[in-house]
Amino acid sequence: MTGGPAGGAAGGAAGGAAGGGARGRLFGKNVLEAMFRASPEEDLFLGELLVGVDAATGRRYLFRVVDVTYGSEHREPGWAERVAGTLLADDGRGETGAHRLHEQSRRTYRVASCRCLGYLTPDGSAFRKPKSLPTQFSRVVSPEAADFEFLRTRMGDLPFGLLRSGETTVDFEVGIPGASLATHVGVFATTGMGKSNLVKTLAAGVLRAGGRYGLLIVDPHGEYRTELARHPWAAARLRTYAARSLPNTSALKVGLGELTVDDLRTAYEWSRPQEEALFELERFYGRDSAGLGWLLDFSHVEDLPGFRDVDLHGRVALNTLQVVHRRAARIVGLPCVAADATVSVGAAVLRDLREGKVVLLDVSGLGSTEEVLVASFLTRRVLDEWSGAYLDEPDRHEQMPVVAVVLEEAQRVLAASKDRESNVFARVAREGRKFKVGLCAVTQQPKLLDGELLSQFNTFFVLGLADEKDRNILRSSSKQDISALGPEIQTLMPGECLVANLEAPFAVPARVHLYADVVRSCPPPPAPRPVAPPNVAAFVD
Amino acid sequence: MASPSLLATAERLAVLLSAGAGAGGGRAPVADPEGGDLEFEPVVELRPLARRAAPAEVWAVDGGQALVADARCVQVLVTRAARARFLGRDCVLEDDGELRAWLVGGGQERVAALSLGLGVGPDVAVDVNLLRDHGEWELLARCVAEAAPGALVLRDGALRPDWRIPAGEAAAVLAGAAERGVTVAAVTKHSSLARGGAPLLGQLEIEAAGALGARSMWWAPVARTRASLGVDVQVVAARLDPDARFAFRVDLPAGAGAEAVLGALSALSDDAAFPGYPYPLSVADRLAGCPSWLRHDVRMDLDDRLDLAGVPLEVRERAFADRHQLMERA
Repeated sequence: MTGGPAGGAAGGAAGGAAGGGARGRLFGKNVLEAMFRASPEEDLFLGELLVGVDAATGRRYLFRVVDVTYGSEHREPGWAERVAGTLLADDGRGETGAHRLHEQSRRTYRVASCRCLGYLTPDGSAFRKPKSLPTQFSRVVSPEAADFEFLRTRMGDLPFGLLRSGETTVDFEVGIPGASLATHVGVFATTGMGKSNLVKTLAAGVLRAGGRYGLLIVDPHGEYRTELARHPWAAARLRTYAARSLPNTSALKVGLGELTVDDLRTAYEWSRPQEEALFELERFYGRDSAGLGWLLDFSHVEDLPGFRDVDLHGRVALNTLQVVHRRAARIVGLPCVAADATVSVGAAVLRDLREGKVVLLDVSGLGSTEEVLVASFLTRRVLDEWSGAYLDEPDRHEQMPVVAVVLEEAQRVLAASKDRESNVFARVAREGRKFKVGLCAVTQQPKLLDGELLSQFNTFFVLGLADEKDRNILRSSSKQDISALGPEIQTLMPGECLVANLEAPFAVPARVHLYADVVRSCPPPPAPRPVAPPNVAAFVD
Repeated sequence: MASPSLLATAERLAVLLSAGAGAGGGRAPVADPEGGDLEFEPVVELRPLARRAAPAEVWAVDGGQALVADARCVQVLVTRAARARFLGRDCVLEDDGELRAWLVGGGQERVAALSLGLGVGPDVAVDVNLLRDHGEWELLARCVAEAAPGALVLRDGALRPDWRIPAGEAAAVLAGAAERGVTVAAVTKHSSLARGGAPLLGQLEIEAAGALGARSMWWAPVARTRASLGVDVQVVAARLDPDARFAFRVDLPAGAGAEAVLGALSALSDDAAFPGYPYPLSVADRLAGCPSWLRHDVRMDLDDRLDLAGVPLEVRERAFADRHQLMERA
């Protein structure tokens, strides 16, 4: 047997000689996991999408690289360490290059471990989950544009970025179906990985969706107001309410009478005696007051010991009553809380959402608990409105848009420790989908979320997460298998994400559009139809 | 007679090893238990070695063998001789050689002996060493013939062929090389050279580290073949890289300028995985190897052919069963 030093790879059924764009040759391992050998110079990236070309069956297997390791033709233990030691010693003496590894490209190689995502049928018409082994030693090549065509119909109408293969961006737009907002969306990332940009990009998609979807964004940091307002469609499709006096916003006012004890229980931590005190007060004032309207009267009580002894018949401990009193005074003093229910924005927000608008609540300036109080109130209103229509007016409900409530730091209201009965967010997570009401939970710490609630989320946007516990909880709740993607999630760069939902057959790697680019490339909204004169309008209508 | 204990054996070995390395050890006589046809230098003198430019063309030859089927009274062996060719620093040819199968025992080795060239007599005892060595020398001669003037042709082992191959055959190869301006050199990884009964190369490595420095390259003339042998070879020891873990025995034609050839050989010995061993020989070694999978393949092929020839399975199995292994399993 005589041959060149490179030692050509096997051809035949495996698909001809290597080269011609081959990135490697498949040698293992089972139906769900592929391993291929590549040259030591082959630059392979975690998360890279590659194709195993099975020349025998005509199938094209789609692989995702989940790990890359070194390989060597030498089998004796410590060979690689010894080589590294020799080279390192040269470096230490300032004699770099004194030794070299002859024929490194033959003696060493790389081994890529992959997840097999599925395969394209020979005619390219269908993508199927992996259930068979590709022919051993098949060529592994970079994907072609046609290899991703099957995804196009599954990418939905809310685009947010481009398909990503490792560090390369593929010219293929990815998105999620707007209807999936009702089945809840999780956005998980540590600081600086691009959560806000993603939310803005999704909001931009809703702005352009022609009223099919509504979004209620609770913005605690005031970071969205200016940016979303720049969107060409914002004038028609964005409505902003602010707790402070800010330009181009409506005043965010919540009527005391519209709030409920459940809103208080969602927003604040209450001890059992304090909750008993709330119910006692509600019973006492309830005859004359709607909602939490009694908080105003109660906050004006000056003689708490007397009130306790006489009006409450001593059924509440004084120090408990003092805590509730202090909180009542704070709530009624909030600038966004009004005693007059007629100034409440509840009805306006519902109207905006029914019209398929993006409603931005700029609650910057409010404390965290007050922000939750407002969000709880409006979310409850939305849920009541949409569930009421579903039950009583199914035709109207059919016409209503899918809406989602976007919550930052969602672990505050979706934690396992939270009382599920009073918590409207937990209710939305459990029941909202059938009413077309969803949550978009944004958090840096998914591990703090209630596992059962998290399992209700059908769409995960996973950006960089350093904490293994965070990754583990997502792994167990994701609608696609992301168990092997830990290293990739760890190494995601800002703006890079994995999207797991029921529509795509695997967790789709993507690079999220920069919101500024979305705004720049967005066409202006269509001009409003000219209003016909009344005498003509009668005919037109 | 008292049975030898490990303690007594260790004590005698300790004396042997210490004598060669101790004071005055350098004046102990040098010997080679496997080579009675060498005349040794009275004192082995270490000399610094400088690295020179690598030859433009280098060939490397090595052989391999495997026992495929063993009925003790009769055996099936395979041998191969492999070679690699380097131009500049690039390997341009890897030839793992034809696999040759031999039947030895039961008088069958006569058939093997008759098929050998290189002046091997028909009545010599035939074993795997002869068969492998014969193939290597044949291939060495081909490499010399194909090499360009100025080339270096390397062999794994010594420049003295198996004792059953007439020395004149080796002399003819070396003479042909000299005539064509081709240098032949052989490197022995594990030498039997000894001084005072202890391994010579190990002693020299320690002495050189003290005398010339831990990272020195050096060489030392050790012996020459006796004139009566008919092939003139000089035997040296050499450390071919500053970071070499070991020194090796190197055989060169008597007429070759040892320092120059070793300097060039040193330039080929800078592989980071095995500093001090000529890299082309590593490649030839890899090509010549007969790993277990190859042995199994040949065995299965042999089985098929025996089956076609009508030898029942039971006969085959009883003939070649590894009874040692079976007994150990029991």
